[in-house]
Amino acid sequence: MKLHPLSIPVRVVSRAVGVAWAFIFAGFAFAGGDPVLLSGVVVLVVLALAVLGGYEVAYHRRFEYELTEDSLDISSGVFSRREREIPLRRVQNVDVTRSFVARLLGLAEVDVETAGGGGTEANLRFVGGEEADRLQEVIREKRAALQREDSGAAETDADAETEAPAVEGETLFELSDRDLLLYGALSFDPRLASGVVALATFLAPTFGDRISLSGLGVAAVVGLAVVAALGLWAASAVARIVQFYGFRLRRVGDDLRYERGLLSRRDGTIPLSKLQTVAVEENLLMRRWGFASLAVETAGYAPGSQPSGGSEAAIPIAPREDVLSLARTLEPFHNFEVERPPERARKRYVRRYLLAGVAVVAGGFLVDQFLTSVPWYAAAVLLLLAWPAARLSYRHRGYDLGPDHVVTRAGFWNRSTRVVPYRRVQTVIRRQTVFQKRWRLATVVFDTAGSRSISAGDAAALDRDAEEADSLAAEVRDRVLAAVYDRGDERRTD
Amino acid sequence: MERLDSRVRFIWFFRAAVGSVFAGGLGGVAAAFVDRIPVSPFVAGGLVFAVVLALSAVHVVLRYRAWRFEVREDTLYIERGVLVNVRTVVPYVRVQHVDARRGPIERALGLSSVVVYTAGSRGADVSIPGLVAGRADDVQETLRRLAIESEPETGDAGDAV
Repeated sequence: MKLHPLSIPVRVVSRAVGVAWAFIFAGFAFAGGDPVLLSGVVVLVVLALAVLGGYEVAYHRRFEYELTEDSLDISSGVFSRREREIPLRRVQNVDVTRSFVARLLGLAEVDVETAGGGGTEANLRFVGGEEADRLQEVIREKRAALQREDSGAAETDADAETEAPAVEGETLFELSDRDLLLYGALSFDPRLASGVVALATFLAPTFGDRISLSGLGVAAVVGLAVVAALGLWAASAVARIVQFYGFRLRRVGDDLRYERGLLSRRDGTIPLSKLQTVAVEENLLMRRWGFASLAVETAGYAPGSQPSGGSEAAIPIAPREDVLSLARTLEPFHNFEVERPPERARKRYVRRYLLAGVAVVAGGFLVDQFLTSVPWYAAAVLLLLAWPAARLSYRHRGYDLGPDHVVTRAGFWNRSTRVVPYRRVQTVIRRQTVFQKRWRLATVVFDTAGSRSISAGDAAALDRDAEEADSLAAEVRDRVLAAVYDRGDERRTD
Repeated sequence: MERLDSRVRFIWFFRAAVGSVFAGGLGGVAAAFVDRIPVSPFVAGGLVFAVVLALSAVHVVLRYRAWRFEVREDTLYIERGVLVNVRTVVPYVRVQHVDARRGPIERALGLSSVVVYTAGSRGADVSIPGLVAGRADDVQETLRRLAIESEPETGDAGDAV
């Protein structure tokens, strides 16, 4: 199969736009109004466009993909050829993106992810809209069939399953317009605002001394700051709303399928059989109003690590109970009650934040000494925040061991509760820094194949009692082995 | 539990020495360009070099003492780290592949490292440096065998991803 012929002009234009700015600026700066040079630049631009067009035509002619019984074969490349064969049973996600322009032309971009390698394994830019849907559907069906074959599931089950799922599947969640607005409003990261406050403690006295403001002037400055903060908030809300417009989550056979987006429509599959971890995330505002969002993670890519930016949540926002019950249908975990770290961990956090505060004050002092005079002592106010900050960090940390899952929780601004099935744990790591050692504390990290851990931090039981951490690590190790070998508790090893 | 070969300290020390030269160079340059530091660049650079080298020598010794590993029945256990003590448990069933690596200095000393890869996000986080070449081959072979043997016969639970 070939890519859609319209993909040539779209690719040329999208590439040319990127290069054009550089050409225009550099060209005019270089020519400097000289008509001869200017026409030379124009000729160069036309030449470059012709080369680009030629390349894209060649790319199209030399690009070939084929969906066989058990693999997706792609041969591509103009100068250096690449033949790639992606086994369908290893496919993690299949995403279809229809950007605004592509939608007008009836085109779509297909990305196929597997667990290996760094980037996207197959990137088809662009195929026809219907062809994209067909690919997504056929890959899903073939993979499901292959997996059934592998696990040797009872034939009757398999038959029943192939009959059941219609292409539409069962709608699990739909984001109403009201919830969408709410999501936009609540998804604002409060850390931005807190950063402004921290900066203000420095800036306010500095400028207060130098510029004598009348009462009206102060009001104007404050007003400006408020408007700026509101603008930031509104911009982030609009971005989220555009991104998640018309969000719908469906279950088709063993896959989750979501679609979303106002300008650029995105339609992706998340195979449940490849699910690594499930995370319930609530930022400060969401917690206040009883909402939460759900993120699922496969080894293909991390939701959120995509070039699309933003969090690729399985559910962007819903009442907390709904999120939990839906999460349970995906990965049936127990009713957890996380246990906080020992009390002395809180004291440790107080010290840590005090040290951070002292570092800020010291930094201010150095700036004052060597660069320009600032009222560095004003930052000492920050030191007082160490106690409440420590309390908040402490209260939002914890873990719980269940029969099949370990649940970890951390984060105050954006609290993330991660559910890791034992059968997905890759390695168990117990870490103890010299500072933790003084308090007889240690951290246990549960590493999974999910690629999210790099950006969002590991699933970890933070700051547990050192002995508890030892037994926790041993316990999880045993349960991982038990889950993998499906052998219950009879064969413990030490 | 098994310790590393003591010659691994030379390798670590050599790396530390290279780092110290860099640090010393930076110190010297900083002293040359910043007017407020009233010492000659050579003295400053030498001082930085000596201090960094001494500190890293201590670190190398402590690091060697902290390092141990054990090939257990179902898991590979590794304990290491001076400032951050890290104990890693890798079930064999999670091992994707095992590498043996020999750098130029390692070859000169007759040493070798074993690197164990899992599908986890810390892919190559598990490596055992400084084993006598024979022992490294041995460990690699054992791990390879155990990784294959540990594959469960039924279900796809063992399929890492």
